[in-house]
Amino acid sequence: MSDTEIIQFHQVSKFYQQRPVVQDLNLTVKMGELFVLVGPSGSGKTTTLKMINRLVEPSQGNIRVAGKDNQLQALTQLRQSIGYVLQEIALFPNMTIGENVMLPLQAAHRDNATSRQQAERLLNQVGLSASEYFDRKPADLSGGEQQRVGIIRGLIARPQIVLMDEPFSALDPLSRRQLQDLVLTLHQEYKMTIVFVTHDMTEAVRLGQRIGIMQNGHLLQVGSPSDLLMQPANEFVRDFMAQAQVPAVKAMVMAGFGQAVGADQVGHQPQLPISASLATLASKLQQQTQVVVEGNRVLTQADVMAFLASQEEDRHVD
Amino acid sequence: MWTNLMNMLQTRQAEIWAALQEHIFLSLLSVVIATVLALSLAIALFGHRRLGNAVLQLAGIIQTIPSLAVLGVLIPLVGIGTVPATIALVLYALMPIYQNAYAGLIGIDPSLDEAADAFGLTYWFKLIHIQLPLAMPAILSGIRIAMVMVIGTATLAALIGAGGLGTLILLGIQTNNNAQLLIGAVLAALLALVFSWGLNGLAKLPLKQGLLVLLVLTGGILGYAGWQTVQARSEKIVIAGKLGSEPEILINMYKELIEQDQPQLKVQLKPNFGGTTFLYKALQRGDIDLYPEFTGTILQTISHKKVPVNHDPKQAYQKAKQIVARQDGFIYLKPMRYQNGYALAMKDEVAKHQHLQTVSDLVQQAHHESAAFDPDFYQSADGYPGLKKAYGLNLMAVNMMEPSLKYDALRQGQVDVIDAYTTDPQLKVDHLVALKDDRHFFPPYQGAPLVRPELLAKYPRVEASLNRLANRITTAEMIDMNYQVTVQHRKPAQVAHAYLVQHHLVKAGD
Repeated sequence: MSDTEIIQFHQVSKFYQQRPVVQDLNLTVKMGELFVLVGPSGSGKTTTLKMINRLVEPSQGNIRVAGKDNQLQALTQLRQSIGYVLQEIALFPNMTIGENVMLPLQAAHRDNATSRQQAERLLNQVGLSASEYFDRKPADLSGGEQQRVGIIRGLIARPQIVLMDEPFSALDPLSRRQLQDLVLTLHQEYKMTIVFVTHDMTEAVRLGQRIGIMQNGHLLQVGSPSDLLMQPANEFVRDFMAQAQVPAVKAMVMAGFGQAVGADQVGHQPQLPISASLATLASKLQQQTQVVVEGNRVLTQADVMAFLASQEEDRHVD
Repeated sequence: MWTNLMNMLQTRQAEIWAALQEHIFLSLLSVVIATVLALSLAIALFGHRRLGNAVLQLAGIIQTIPSLAVLGVLIPLVGIGTVPATIALVLYALMPIYQNAYAGLIGIDPSLDEAADAFGLTYWFKLIHIQLPLAMPAILSGIRIAMVMVIGTATLAALIGAGGLGTLILLGIQTNNNAQLLIGAVLAALLALVFSWGLNGLAKLPLKQGLLVLLVLTGGILGYAGWQTVQARSEKIVIAGKLGSEPEILINMYKELIEQDQPQLKVQLKPNFGGTTFLYKALQRGDIDLYPEFTGTILQTISHKKVPVNHDPKQAYQKAKQIVARQDGFIYLKPMRYQNGYALAMKDEVAKHQHLQTVSDLVQQAHHESAAFDPDFYQSADGYPGLKKAYGLNLMAVNMMEPSLKYDALRQGQVDVIDAYTTDPQLKVDHLVALKDDRHFFPPYQGAPLVRPELLAKYPRVEASLNRLANRITTAEMIDMNYQVTVQHRKPAQVAHAYLVQHHLVKAGD
């Protein structure tokens, strides 16, 4: 086993009263990656997620977490080493925001002063000023603010792995977008492994370094967003991916437009984020002949024209 | 009524205060025990829904058993006093506390539960920091409901000698003293309100402070209970009396006589302890050592076999003495002089005017006399029907009336004759006279101490002390003493002491 593999499912199945929910699942999540499990409701993605920290116990097969079978690890230790963010947010209404954030540390018997410092730092980092928010109750906050707290509560104990179960599906589109950015930022900073479950293909493509698509308890395909877009394993994957509203720049890169260049050639010039819109790219290209995009890829006006042309063709085909 | 109320509040302050304290203690003790039990049960069972629901059903069934029945079942098992009263009240308080705590715990949002699990919280951490705080409003509302219910039901504790505000209510009913009844009832209601508010206040405190208050309260109650038990053990002789002023005066005399002769003995009094059957059972169990009982009551109520009515007081006493000795080995000491039985009563002035002294005299005039009798007297064989036969009494009109009303009717001249008890202080209040039962129809009711043999074996001199009242206290003297207590609100102990001093039974002084 390579040490870059942090979670491994081996022939895992889960039955509820003989009805299969997950069947013969084999999956490897790599250390430090942002892995997205996507699929329609009832596809078994949440069950799969919850089997990692044993909120759901598998009926068959085994799951290795950080190299050890998770059935052989002490339950509290296993869970304390894995962060968790829920769709329902589930901040404890009897506690203040600060107490909620500090809870995982208290459960692990960390000392109060350090816990408080860490909680305040994280609150400030996600834009909820600690001096203002620390002593407030969850009910005083908007849904988006509450889930910011939910996310840092999942991170505060510095777990190697954070599980996120459809964390943004109850939020309005604007908050969802802001929080997706927050997850990307935090992931870059802390480099933990995130397993993120969603039914929203756009979200999956926006966040996932690798994506696993599930349907009816089966894992249909695992790959990078461009793999899934370019080489869908079957009709279901193709149709599902078609729902994704991929940001134009990312779509261009995934579709193979532009030139890959080595890091040494790019130097220190600023790179355009891959989530940028077509308008941003166009305005840059009016000032300069080529733009370097995140991931060391160079795009030119010609690439944009070719991309737009291919989109038009697609529409005619449909 | 109003002046009577104020008067009672002033003169009986100590008594009322004691009843209030007993009531608070009993209620708090029961609610604290019930809370500990019900909460532990709810915590243990809310993870096992099927069992939890079964217990919910069971608690509901317990709830439907009438409280009097529970007390009745408990007396043979655990005796009388605070213990059975507390058990009964705890049984009642269990259901609302368990039901609310259980509902509060299973009603916790499952996603909060999942979050707590996912963070790897231990069972106790989760219980104390998450589940109990979240269920706290429901738990407190259960305790509040139980509290109000227990304070109300605790008034019944007076029936089994556990004291409390119920004593005032029972006595009020017994002696037709509405002021006393009202004080008991209003205080019970106020108590329920105050505690309900107190719990509301407690609910607003932060959890730690709230728990601290609860802890102090529980400690205080248990401490008081322990102190009471120690106190009770150090007492040597326990004397009880039935409801009313007369038994209370008598047992105060007993106490003074015993303690004067043997100052090293300690006598504990339990006045207004309950009804006949209850006191007799308490004596059988040894919860009390003696109480004053009437010959007539032994013959009519306590005797297992039906005994023909004997109209000679001396023979009746001998018969009663044999019966209690045979049934339970009890010793029935010498009787006092007065009789407290049925009598026909008229206004003194009317009786004088019509030259009526005896029931036989009344028979002559009966065709233009009307009467009011209470329902018991009107129906029972030793009441009006028997009297009618024995004397050939044919009254012009006979009405059935509640005891309190018949005195009013007589006072206002609506009737001429009523039934009364011979030592009833009302005779003195309304200037009534009891007609002499010249054919000895009414069964004799003479009072005497009924004693457990163990007491006399241990302290033989007690018999002599008690027998000093033999053939003492006339009917008129008893009426007067009852009058002093129930109408003038003097303390029974003072009235008893004054009598003993006046008749040189104890030395004057303290």
